[in-house]
Amino acid sequence: MGTDMQVVLDGFLTAIQPGNLFWIALGGFLGTVVGMLPGLGPATAIALLIPITFGMDPTSALILMAAIYYGAMYGGSRSSILLNTPGDGSAIAATFDGYPMAQKGQAGQALAMSAIASLIGGLIAVVGFIVLAKPLANFALKFGPAEYFLLMVFTLSAIVALAKGAMVKGFISMAIGLMISTVGIDLQTGVYRFTMGSPHLSEGIDFLVVIIGIYAVGEVLYNFLTINKPVGEKKSVGKKWITKEQWKRSKWPIIRNGPIGFVIGVLPGAGGAIASMLSYSFEKQISKHPEEFGEGAVEGLAAPESSNNAAAVGAFIPMLAMGIPGSGTTAVILGAIVMLGLKPGPLLFENNPDMVWTFINSMFVGNLFLVILNIALVGLLVKILDTPPRILYPLIMMLAFIGTYTLGYSTVDFIILIIFGFVGLFMKLLKFPVAPLILAVIVGSDMEQNFRMSLISHPDIIGIATASPITIALVIMTIISLGFPFLSAWLMDRKKGKTSEESM
Amino acid sequence: MIRYITPLLSIVVGIALLIGAFTLPKSTLGNPNGPMYFPALIAIILILSGLVYLFQEFKARGVKFTDFTQIRLGKSPMYLGVSLVLMIIYTILFERIGFLFSTIIFLLGLLFMLNGRKKWITNILVAVIFSVVTWYAFGTLLQVSLP
Amino acid sequence: MKKILGVAAMSFALILGACSSDNADGKDADFPKKNIEFVAPATPGGGWDATARAIQKIMKEEKIVDQSMTVVNKPGGSGEVGWQYLSKKDAHSLAIDSSLLLTNNLLGQSDLTYEDFTPIATLTTEWISVAVPNDSPYEDATALMEQLKKDPGSVKIGIAPGLGNNDHLSFVKAAKTFGVDVTKLNFLVYESGGDVMTSLLGGHVDAATMAVSESQEQHIAKKFKIVAITSDERLDEIPDVPTWKEQGVDLVFPHWRGILGPPDMTEDQIKYWNDAIGKMVESDAWKELLENNGWEDFYKDSNETKKFLEEQKGMYTELIEESGLKK
Repeated sequence: MGTDMQVVLDGFLTAIQPGNLFWIALGGFLGTVVGMLPGLGPATAIALLIPITFGMDPTSALILMAAIYYGAMYGGSRSSILLNTPGDGSAIAATFDGYPMAQKGQAGQALAMSAIASLIGGLIAVVGFIVLAKPLANFALKFGPAEYFLLMVFTLSAIVALAKGAMVKGFISMAIGLMISTVGIDLQTGVYRFTMGSPHLSEGIDFLVVIIGIYAVGEVLYNFLTINKPVGEKKSVGKKWITKEQWKRSKWPIIRNGPIGFVIGVLPGAGGAIASMLSYSFEKQISKHPEEFGEGAVEGLAAPESSNNAAAVGAFIPMLAMGIPGSGTTAVILGAIVMLGLKPGPLLFENNPDMVWTFINSMFVGNLFLVILNIALVGLLVKILDTPPRILYPLIMMLAFIGTYTLGYSTVDFIILIIFGFVGLFMKLLKFPVAPLILAVIVGSDMEQNFRMSLISHPDIIGIATASPITIALVIMTIISLGFPFLSAWLMDRKKGKTSEESM
Repeated sequence: MIRYITPLLSIVVGIALLIGAFTLPKSTLGNPNGPMYFPALIAIILILSGLVYLFQEFKARGVKFTDFTQIRLGKSPMYLGVSLVLMIIYTILFERIGFLFSTIIFLLGLLFMLNGRKKWITNILVAVIFSVVTWYAFGTLLQVSLP
Repeated sequence: MKKILGVAAMSFALILGACSSDNADGKDADFPKKNIEFVAPATPGGGWDATARAIQKIMKEEKIVDQSMTVVNKPGGSGEVGWQYLSKKDAHSLAIDSSLLLTNNLLGQSDLTYEDFTPIATLTTEWISVAVPNDSPYEDATALMEQLKKDPGSVKIGIAPGLGNNDHLSFVKAAKTFGVDVTKLNFLVYESGGDVMTSLLGGHVDAATMAVSESQEQHIAKKFKIVAITSDERLDEIPDVPTWKEQGVDLVFPHWRGILGPPDMTEDQIKYWNDAIGKMVESDAWKELLENNGWEDFYKDSNETKKFLEEQKGMYTELIEESGLKK
């Protein structure tokens, strides 16, 4: 597209018209709220609002729906930080260091940092969108089954490798996640696998049910164990704004991971969960003090937050540039704008440039609005921590069950939820890393199907690994990520003369 | 001995999955064994990791194993047991008596368990208010089809 | 927490309050007596749910049905869960259906088929296209089929979201008339139509079959080319694309959607819906919906639908046996 500055500016002016500002604010607010509730992610929220957009102007509808989407990226990490219960897949990485920060009495700072990181990540991505939409869309097309398969292998290995001393536990955790992902109809052959005769299970186990089970229910059960212990000191909420020191530590991680998240977001099907987890493991591996990660390192929160918000913006590129939905949520949005009479496709940029640019600028404005909203909410949100746990935990339980029900409209999911609640409890007791399991459930089925499809195009594993420059790069990155912990442990050994044991 | 439970469980699950994989129906299209490979591979990862884990635990047998002590102390077993029962009752009642009443019962159960009988007014208020608010927000405003 | 929920609930109320409360008082006609439940056998966001909610909206706004209608989502098992649910209900429930109702049964995944219900109406259809990349060696559908005849495994064909669906079976049917050994075809099954499109644009498959509404924009933009469609005549939006019929294959293959009622409905109840839906399909709102989604009007009333389903069942039975999906 010829990026004509005039069109961009016109788009900006349209985006800040009062009507559109209202939709941005409304969507951002709704998104923040649904993002905070477990299970009720942006896709569900948007799907439920579709009937309301009937009859709206397509541009406004698109602005509203997009604002819900990235609003949920902000909201999702709120509950990750405060309660250790991520709202959806892309907010998981925020629990790794965000929750420990809150436990250390830095809840306010964590919330502020996450909002700032999200803002910068989002802005980087919007700029990227303006400059790079078309070439990136074409790059994304180069990803075939072999490339996707290896990208997922790489992400999984990077996450397993995070559990340094306890890599075996990481592998078991991952294998359980992959196992769950095999339930359901096998796409390539139509064979039913492990469905136990339940038609509900034929479409597989929704990864969100597993997330809610392990995090929300599991966390509540785990807290029941200590609920009667006298509280040592009252957890202070701490300052509501980040310190200079924290900014210094986070500034580069935020700037580095915005583009990473953006590029991964552009790949159809990859999405925020992969982006944020990759960013987290990348920062941990290059960090000078990796031992602080998982204990409340501020850059361990900032990096994935920047990345997942950038990914949410990136996911709109394939949708707007080619008419291909890049994620579950954009698929729902695409369906909705089709009903409004818009024809997304390769010609959208040429036929409706004003609409496209209004939309892009609305993301710019929306991110600014959301950071203000979220920082204003910090004071209110940290009050959640003041709620007596004896009342708070039953309510989290209830929200977990309702969130689960909205995902599949079946109580079969409740049984799965209960099982994973207890799985989560025991994983915490046994100090098993949870992230490999979750990520495996999210990518497992895609990984298998892409692997089997790539076997049709390439003769064997070697053929898949050498299919293109992208696959070769991914294979090398996988080897490095798995080998790096051993290498650094070995170096540490030589330095200190003893192995450092730690888990994520 | 309790320390060997998890590694052994991992091996057992792995073997069960392997058997499950081999007894999957054959595909009539494409590679007949296609659906089987991936589950079998996962099973092998589980079994191998389980063996390594078992060996690690064996090496560490001198160190006191404390991972499970927490759930045996104080009221923990009661809390976990009652929560499990309440969650199962909730699952059974949810579609039978509808969202509103089953949720009130579920919340009351949890609140009385944690909060004690003395604070019954708070318990009832919280259970009823939150159930009604959620029911209204999801059912009427978001038009989620609740039972 | 309380505060947050309170704030949330209040703002929801402010925003959406106007859209939710409605209720029509029952008139003298004794059917329908109460709220009508409309089952979408899918989660919100998909085509079935969208159709159900659009019908709900039109029925209300055009005041065709006096009673209120609520959409109930019962996803799972390619519609199976929702239809199972409907089979146990009384005449105040309806569900969206499609050919999956027939194929689930024929593939042995369900005990239910259309005879266990009351067919109410057929509403819309989409047509199915076969597309190849721009630089494909196959100029037209005939060339593609000739290649498949020589070596059925040599062409990678992208489909979604599962074997045994219309996109898959329509291709099998076309290939069969050319004398291709259809059990050896090489299908790559993707999760969604979007994924199929991506893989075709990226050149990861040699051909793909998908709904015309999904592929036509790419064809118009010359990103790939559609070589055949399953309609009986050329379509207005893509007049340069020939039908299978023109290319010597006697194939018209609709991808239809309709409405299904529970078993044992009375003549009066069926007549009520014939009238109501007959009115609805004439409304401007409905026509706009079809236009926007690229759906075509395919309206048939209850009796015609019954006949149509009977005929469809015969066709699918034959096709599924020959495709190799069932031994």
